[in-house]
Amino acid sequence: MIKFYTTLIFTLFSCTVFAQNLNGPRIQAMANAGVAMQDIWTLKNNAAGITSIENTAFAIAYENRFSVKELSTKSAAVVIPLKKYSLGASFQSYGSPVYQELKSGLSLAKAFGENFSTALTLNYHQLSIQNYGNTSTFSFQVGFQYQVFKNFWVAAHAANPNKSQYTETESNTLPALYQIGASYTFTDKLLVTSEIEQVVDGKLDFKTGLEYKIAPFLALRGGTSVNTFQQFGGFGILYQKINLDFAISSHPILGYSPQIALGYAF
Amino acid sequence: MLSRIKILLLTGFLCLSLGLQAQQSNDPIIEYILEVIAENQSEDFDYTELVERLNFYRRNPLNLNKASRDELQELVFLNPLQISNLLDHIAVNGKLIDILELQSIDGFDLQTIRTLLNFSSINSPTGFENFNWANLKKEGRSDLIVRYGRILEEQAGFNIPEETGRSRYLGTPDRVFTRYRFNYLNNLQFSLNLDKDAGEQFWTTQGRSIGPDFVSASLYVKDVSKFKKIVLGDFSLQFGQGLTLWSGLSFGKGADLFSIAKQDLGLRPYTSINEFSFFRGLATQINFGRFDFTPFISFRRLDAGSSLNAVTNLSEITSLQISGLHRTQNELANKNRISQLVLGGNLQYNYRKLSLGLTAYQSNYSENFAPGNAVYNQFEFTGRRLTNLGAHYNYTLNNIYLFGELAHSVNSGVAFINGAIASLTPQISALVFHRNYQKDYYSYFNQGISEGSLAFNERGFFGGLQYKSGRKYEFNVYTDLFKFPWLRFRVDAPSVGHELFSQFTYSPKRTTKFILRYRIEEKQQNVSGATTPINTLETIRRQNYRFEVQYALNKSFSLRNRAEVTQFKKESTQNTYGLLLYQDVLYNPLSSKLSGNARIAYFNTEGFDTRIYAYENDVLYGFSIPGLQNKGIRFYLNGRYTLKRGVDFWLKYSFTHYTDLETIGSGLDQIDGNLRSEVKVQIRYQF
Repeated sequence: MIKFYTTLIFTLFSCTVFAQNLNGPRIQAMANAGVAMQDIWTLKNNAAGITSIENTAFAIAYENRFSVKELSTKSAAVVIPLKKYSLGASFQSYGSPVYQELKSGLSLAKAFGENFSTALTLNYHQLSIQNYGNTSTFSFQVGFQYQVFKNFWVAAHAANPNKSQYTETESNTLPALYQIGASYTFTDKLLVTSEIEQVVDGKLDFKTGLEYKIAPFLALRGGTSVNTFQQFGGFGILYQKINLDFAISSHPILGYSPQIALGYAF
Repeated sequence: MLSRIKILLLTGFLCLSLGLQAQQSNDPIIEYILEVIAENQSEDFDYTELVERLNFYRRNPLNLNKASRDELQELVFLNPLQISNLLDHIAVNGKLIDILELQSIDGFDLQTIRTLLNFSSINSPTGFENFNWANLKKEGRSDLIVRYGRILEEQAGFNIPEETGRSRYLGTPDRVFTRYRFNYLNNLQFSLNLDKDAGEQFWTTQGRSIGPDFVSASLYVKDVSKFKKIVLGDFSLQFGQGLTLWSGLSFGKGADLFSIAKQDLGLRPYTSINEFSFFRGLATQINFGRFDFTPFISFRRLDAGSSLNAVTNLSEITSLQISGLHRTQNELANKNRISQLVLGGNLQYNYRKLSLGLTAYQSNYSENFAPGNAVYNQFEFTGRRLTNLGAHYNYTLNNIYLFGELAHSVNSGVAFINGAIASLTPQISALVFHRNYQKDYYSYFNQGISEGSLAFNERGFFGGLQYKSGRKYEFNVYTDLFKFPWLRFRVDAPSVGHELFSQFTYSPKRTTKFILRYRIEEKQQNVSGATTPINTLETIRRQNYRFEVQYALNKSFSLRNRAEVTQFKKESTQNTYGLLLYQDVLYNPLSSKLSGNARIAYFNTEGFDTRIYAYENDVLYGFSIPGLQNKGIRFYLNGRYTLKRGVDFWLKYSFTHYTDLETIGSGLDQIDGNLRSEVKVQIRYQF
């Protein structure tokens, strides 16, 4: 029964939560502060980060938000580096047959030399609510990353700056958000990343996280976001070309959200 | 070539710092260590034991080649990784032959080495190797301190005639503290403390407590064959992370990340003047190779409030009184009301980077603890006998120090904590730990890391980072998320909260320092002034901003300024603010009989919730961290004068002048007027 209410609450409020954007467990474990990182999952939150990927790679992820089955998200991502560009595609499905959001994205990223890259992503959103109907819309994302000095990156990203929405009603607006951030790799072992995120007409958040490679095949991660106050943690295992990542986030009131992903790089 | 220059430079620095140390009569090094620690504790701890310990090692340096883990842990400024690395270095490479070797050990930066060498060396004598009775007389040192203090304005409690029959202070407003120590090298120490607080009688003639108000004494012997430590009299015990058994000084969350994870000292003589947190009896630590066994027995009387149980017609303990104050008829009646017998032991296994420990003890009280009558305290301990069991570990794996403890109170709950300190790069270290203390876990010697005052009814996760680049930059940040699964005092539902702390320190020169600090804490408590039959919770937010500058004018004078703002908000109310500004002048000439410091502070706070604590310099072994509230000026002048070798004299005069009050304090402490001033005089004789 409690579960039913939780589901109901999230179904009703999910339009404003928008945390359903699944950033992949590596970035999530670092408090989702991924705007200045390089990873296949940056497709979701600043695709400029995919230009450092040299071989075709793909990954799939599953998240169980607040440990409620009906609030799970499934996602897949693929990156294909071409001669002058990198191409990326991502797919994400959130919810249950009762309430379902689908998001499909295509990204084009280009590196200008070693220190600057930029990317454009086009998304197609579909929303279906049982006994109510379906609707769809488009949105775009744009971002860049710049390496100020060796291993120090700054980045900025905008998602849905034109505030596209499903229907005319305001409550169905897809949030527009802006992020700026920086990441620094201290040694081969330690990466620290931070990001400030502003949701237009919403809240401002500061997030920071770090990744520590305790062994060549094992990385530990942790992070914190300030508004709302949440802690994040996780680990990643790299075995030859396969990597397995796990993350968990802890919301002070709603509880834990675990996420797992499997990736393969050719 | 480069490394050679480095070594030369290092030698230069070390010689310089050692040279300086010999001349200074005052001890800024200890003051500094203490300040870093004390600054971050909001409560008025008694740091006597710590200062005494550090002062002791200043005079009798610890031999690093022979030091055990717990001896190294007594030097609070070393972190567990450094200690592990040092012990391992000696185990692998043999004894340190030269102090320069320290620099080759991981985690030892120049600053740490410099501080460490103030308290240790590599070939100081240890053990009873040269002991005989003649030496005892020749090498033994005595140290006698008498301190007198008094609030100059009259407090209401002293001005009530006996005939009225109302509660009043029976003694005089004077505070007199006497402290005697006898040390023979590192091996033998006798301590005696006598204390009479303001309002207490010099000589109590009442029932169970005849004599001076508080007497504490101990005889401490070290390294007699297999007996590493023996204490007869008052002692403290600290094991693991403090969940099962920890008495005496312990630190909470604070700016120095490394002092948050506890470093247990095992058995120590108790030399502090806190009248509650210690044992009285006999304890020893016996070494069997890799094993150390510490059995102990303690019997003492405690202050307690009690009431009659209507059903059993027996007297029951309603509360333990830990203030140690016995000023009124009522307080005297509760003094030494119940007895406490504690016996048990700890077994510890130490090998290289691993250490494991088991603790078991039983505490017996002369009366039953009364069951809690409120919903929030219904899981508290009842009965008169409590058995506690605990297991703790620490292990160093490469650059990661793992620690933890599991504690169980028999027939009730469990508490555990697990964590790690990792040096991620030479500049960056991290501390993380998780804790889970059940609502029905009890220990009367529990000082585990917690947001609440005791480690029970709490779950939480803590993560912190420290960035330290040489001496110049230091950045500390931590976040802590905590949940209280059961109700608490004034919190009528399970609640959550979190804390974020960050501090940036910039020291362009040795004598110049800038500190920026920000802290925010959110917690839940009952909505105040609610008229509904059931209390609901609201979030309260407390924020702290601090800016501090320290700089030297010349070799004798330095200045320190601080600005601090607190901001407090309940969901249902507007922000309230508190402000503190102060100017310190410190006079510490290298070779002069006179040294001292003074502060003038302005404070303006909107009430109790926005009060601001500030650490103050005091006479040696004296401490004050007053919480300032309302509006006014605080001033103190603190000086030390060396009459001749071995005879020192201290004086502290302080006052707080309120501009918005007509009376200060309440009840028996109330002062008519807006001025509260205090004087402290202390003399030390070393022979």
